[in-house]
Amino acid sequence: MAGTRFQLLSTFSRQFSSLNNVTTVQPKIRIDEIRGRRLSIFDKEHKRQQDLIPRLEKIEVTYEGLNDEKTTLVMNKGVSTPYNCAQHINEQLLKRSVVAEVNGEIWDMHRAIPADCTLKLLHMKPEDPHQATLVNKAFWRSCSFLLGAIVESAFQDEISVCLHSFPPANVRSGSFVYDVQLNLNDWVPSQNDLRQIAASFQKFVRQDHIFQRLDVDSSVALKMFEDNAFKAEQIPHIATKSSTGRSVTVYRVGDHIDISRGPMIASSSLVGRCSIAAIHKLNSKLYRFQGVALPSEIHINHFAFSVLESRARKLNPARTPELKSN
Amino acid sequence: MNQADLSKLVSALRIAVKPKPRRFSCPEGPAGRLEKLRATVTALVKYERIELNHPRAEEAQGYAERLISDAIRNGDCHKHTMEMADYWLNEKQLVHKLFKVLAPRYQNYNSSFTRLVLGPKTYPGYYVGTAILELKGNPFPALQPETHNYHYWLHNVLLEEAKKEFRSARQDRNAGTTESVTAES
Repeated sequence: MAGTRFQLLSTFSRQFSSLNNVTTVQPKIRIDEIRGRRLSIFDKEHKRQQDLIPRLEKIEVTYEGLNDEKTTLVMNKGVSTPYNCAQHINEQLLKRSVVAEVNGEIWDMHRAIPADCTLKLLHMKPEDPHQATLVNKAFWRSCSFLLGAIVESAFQDEISVCLHSFPPANVRSGSFVYDVQLNLNDWVPSQNDLRQIAASFQKFVRQDHIFQRLDVDSSVALKMFEDNAFKAEQIPHIATKSSTGRSVTVYRVGDHIDISRGPMIASSSLVGRCSIAAIHKLNSKLYRFQGVALPSEIHINHFAFSVLESRARKLNPARTPELKSN
Repeated sequence: MNQADLSKLVSALRIAVKPKPRRFSCPEGPAGRLEKLRATVTALVKYERIELNHPRAEEAQGYAERLISDAIRNGDCHKHTMEMADYWLNEKQLVHKLFKVLAPRYQNYNSSFTRLVLGPKTYPGYYVGTAILELKGNPFPALQPETHNYHYWLHNVLLEEAKKEFRSARQDRNAGTTESVTAES
């Protein structure tokens, strides 16, 4: 039943009910084309970085499991990821782990390990409060990221969607956020629109896309995001803040690519119940999309979730971005 | 009004006791029933964890609880308690265990001394199913996994913040109404 309902919703998801007043100005480049171009750059850069490793060297990874039980794994330097380590240990770890801890530093599940290290795998129900805050933040950040991916492709072709950014993850604010520029004047999203975005979010998440991380040079990043004025503007700032002063971290989920410092969760299927709570208009054409989601590992009853939803409807207090290019 | 405080005469059990005793079908009558229960209580004290039919486990649990609480309350110099221990425990070395091992173990417990867990059901089979009756603090590994629900897990953080916001909103509302009332008066 649920499956058929999703299919029905998704067929309508690209046609929003309250968008009749939109005037089509010029034929835009379709989002699929932009995405295809970004993906080809991403793949090329990924391949180039892999080719830089002349021959495989071995490293020793010490996995610290339950009750401080230690397992030593011999892995490939610069190629093997914590996910590969989990593949050698057990299936539950593989499915459950959200992020890894490499030498005490929080690390993506799909990021190559550069040297000998100790490894811990964290899930969404940790015993340690410090780990819990890190894991929650990674989850919240990933939800923002996924929201961006959905919003970018949710609208009809004549509406230009330009992703701006998402603020640092703050779980206590009650909602995850993505700020997006739409060329719509005074769009008031109906309850049905929200539901349709939520349905496409859920549908996308269920496809089990991994979060692939890639550190690229700022010039490559600029080429990737030349269609997005906001991102192109942000990239030099982000690059100067990085350790080398030139690199930018991008993530890929499915066919969507975005900039984020990370770390992100291992896979989109770790997101469970979700809801797009509200869309607020910030200033001219900039809309704030807000949602709330729970990990697939955590189940709460519908009343408690409705409490979270109603809180997420209020405008998130995160800093409003200032627009220069207007 | 002059009624004696019941908890001073009989120790209150920390389990739910059924109002009527179960009558097991046995040809020997009530004496046979007690014989069965004695065997169960003895086995429980001896092995500390037993698996048996649910009705009998639930029935025996009360007798075991009462025996242990009396042993804690009165000690081994009390004549009646010693007679009861002698009656309920078929193997006499277990009387020593009751007073020297179990009574000190449960001295400071605030909960019941035994735990009754529903056991696996065989299908098709006897519909009541089995139960596992155990003394708490036994040396065996736990029957059920420990369940936690920490306040720093994601859903609890979200709910906690929602609660805070709700309370502050209510406080503001109340403050607003009292202000308007005073302004009117």
